[in-house]
Amino acid sequence: MNITFPHLGNTYIAGKVLFEGLGVEYTIPPISTKKTLEIGCLHSPDDVCLPFKIMIGNYIESIEKGADTVLITGSCGPCRFGEYCELQKKVLMSLGRQINFIVIDEPSKIGIKEFLNRLSSVAKESKLSTYKKAKALNMALKAINLIDEIEKECRFYAGYEKNKGEFSKLLKEVKKEAIEAKGAEETLKVLEKYKEKVDRVEIDLFKTPIKIGIIGEIYTIIDSLSNLYIEDILMNLGVSTKRTLYPSWWVKNTALSALKINKSPIYKEAKQYLKMCIGGHAQECVGEAMLNYKMGFDGLIQIFPVGCMPEIVSKAILPDIEKKYNIPILSLVVDEMTGEAGYYTRVEAFLDLIEGRKKVCI
Amino acid sequence: MIIGIPNALLNIKYRDAIQEFLHTIGITTVVSPKTNKEILDLGVLNCVDEACLPVKIFHGHVEYLRDRCDIVLVPRIMKLHKNEFICPKFCGLPEMVKYTLDIKNIICPTITAYNEKTLKDSLYDFSKTFRVDKEKFKKAYNGFKSNIYKYNKINSSRSNLRVLLLGHPYLIYDDFINMGLIKKLNQYGVEVFTEDNIEPYDYTYRLIKKPFWTFLRNTYNCAISLVETGKIDGIIYISSFGCGIDSFSIDLIKKDVGSFPYLVLKIDEHTGEAGVDTRIEAFIDLLKRRAKYEYNISSLG
Repeated sequence: MNITFPHLGNTYIAGKVLFEGLGVEYTIPPISTKKTLEIGCLHSPDDVCLPFKIMIGNYIESIEKGADTVLITGSCGPCRFGEYCELQKKVLMSLGRQINFIVIDEPSKIGIKEFLNRLSSVAKESKLSTYKKAKALNMALKAINLIDEIEKECRFYAGYEKNKGEFSKLLKEVKKEAIEAKGAEETLKVLEKYKEKVDRVEIDLFKTPIKIGIIGEIYTIIDSLSNLYIEDILMNLGVSTKRTLYPSWWVKNTALSALKINKSPIYKEAKQYLKMCIGGHAQECVGEAMLNYKMGFDGLIQIFPVGCMPEIVSKAILPDIEKKYNIPILSLVVDEMTGEAGYYTRVEAFLDLIEGRKKVCI
Repeated sequence: MIIGIPNALLNIKYRDAIQEFLHTIGITTVVSPKTNKEILDLGVLNCVDEACLPVKIFHGHVEYLRDRCDIVLVPRIMKLHKNEFICPKFCGLPEMVKYTLDIKNIICPTITAYNEKTLKDSLYDFSKTFRVDKEKFKKAYNGFKSNIYKYNKINSSRSNLRVLLLGHPYLIYDDFINMGLIKKLNQYGVEVFTEDNIEPYDYTYRLIKKPFWTFLRNTYNCAISLVETGKIDGIIYISSFGCGIDSFSIDLIKKDVGSFPYLVLKIDEHTGEAGVDTRIEAFIDLLKRRAKYEYNISSLG
């Protein structure tokens, strides 16, 4: 069995640590590029959302490298993501590719027994003892937390750095070195080394950069191909950005929600607008908008793929927050046809507007 | 007090039942007229651009009703089957209407109705707002129950050419959105089946995962059971542009029925009637020719 998984931000580093720790054969799909998207669009139905198409591209590229099993998480909420595995398998089958799907669904929906059954189908490939398997899982969790922490700090302090470009250089290096490192322990060491390096970068806290919160649909804000590298562009312009929806956040949030002890402030803030979960991350989007406003952010950018059902609801709510709390919000809708020039012009104009409001110049 | 019922989305199906329920507890109702150009324009003007056509039209109906009644009924329909949802947009519909139309006088009961008890509880919560005693509620609930299947079922005469019309009920029963599709099909002498006049078998075992959308399960089961039993000659799927559920069900069915005649009509606010007419005509020509020649040609060439 050769396991592969679709890209989602930095999860490939955690995936590498996990499977190397377990000693299971795995294939990391090549980093998503325009070509991946093209392959995905060719084989997907027209109407599905962008994440589906990029994932299909990822699968096909890793099948070509020898993968035969796909590991993805599932959901049973009203959002389309829960049905992905169904149609994706049919699409790959119709292309004549034999491939297995292991879908990690919520245990409360499919039953604990089935859940453990699916997990063990991965774990039984490994010949290690149970203790060592648990250790590998722990290392993977550590890795995803570390890399997300590094990225979060780099993105936020980019506006405060003394020597321009230091954070973006570090971020590029850490990803490169982590993927080249051999073995799980080695990768963790690299991440820890870079965590210290990031902490030691000189920052000037008297600066007042533009601070922007990035909210919206989880896949499109994490995956830099689908949002046309918006965070990198903002970083190079010296804008501080913050987003809460990282893969590590998702892991923590899902685990806490399953145990019903989730006391995240996001849901408390979202309550006045959206009382219940309507699928996807609409509630988180609204809650984030409120939280970012309270933390004194200058503007918000909402990103979601065309036709995303939960985000359409939150897009309807956001203008009210914009008006009531006087915070500019830009909604960007992306799909495979998004033109770069028009997209960047809108982002730049939005930054100009905030500059005007703040009376600063970047 | 006058309650306005927008004649769109699932209200089309349950309009009579809701009206009967409210009349029995002593509330006057006003139902918005069938969708027309004015309502469509109101909806398109006010709604979020990315929403699908039926949601836009619902906004138009609410906007039309806002000055013609005291309070508008915007139900939040969560579940009609256990462990199944309708659509995220249905769950968030009251919020969408409230903030895009900036309207204060709406009432949004949460309807969860996967069995008798939950339906009764949801309706009881709804009637609490009007301070109704238990006796009256019971009578009103019975009225609701007896009217629930009263919406217009399609009667079409028997014919050799049988077509299954798939799609959400609010597309099939709204003659303005679908441009009189059923009438047109009847003129061509086609017998029309819809989800409501057949009893499908359960074919979801063919899928890896049990679907969690009621619409997806219904359409899939209908299509597969009629194709498998050979009761139909073709499928017409009417869908609105940007519908998340249809983007999956169209392809799931297409991958399962193979080369069976299958026409997908995508509809949005810019759809031209002539184009749709041509496609239907061509599809019916194809079905007729297929019935005549398809099985008479030797497969050996």
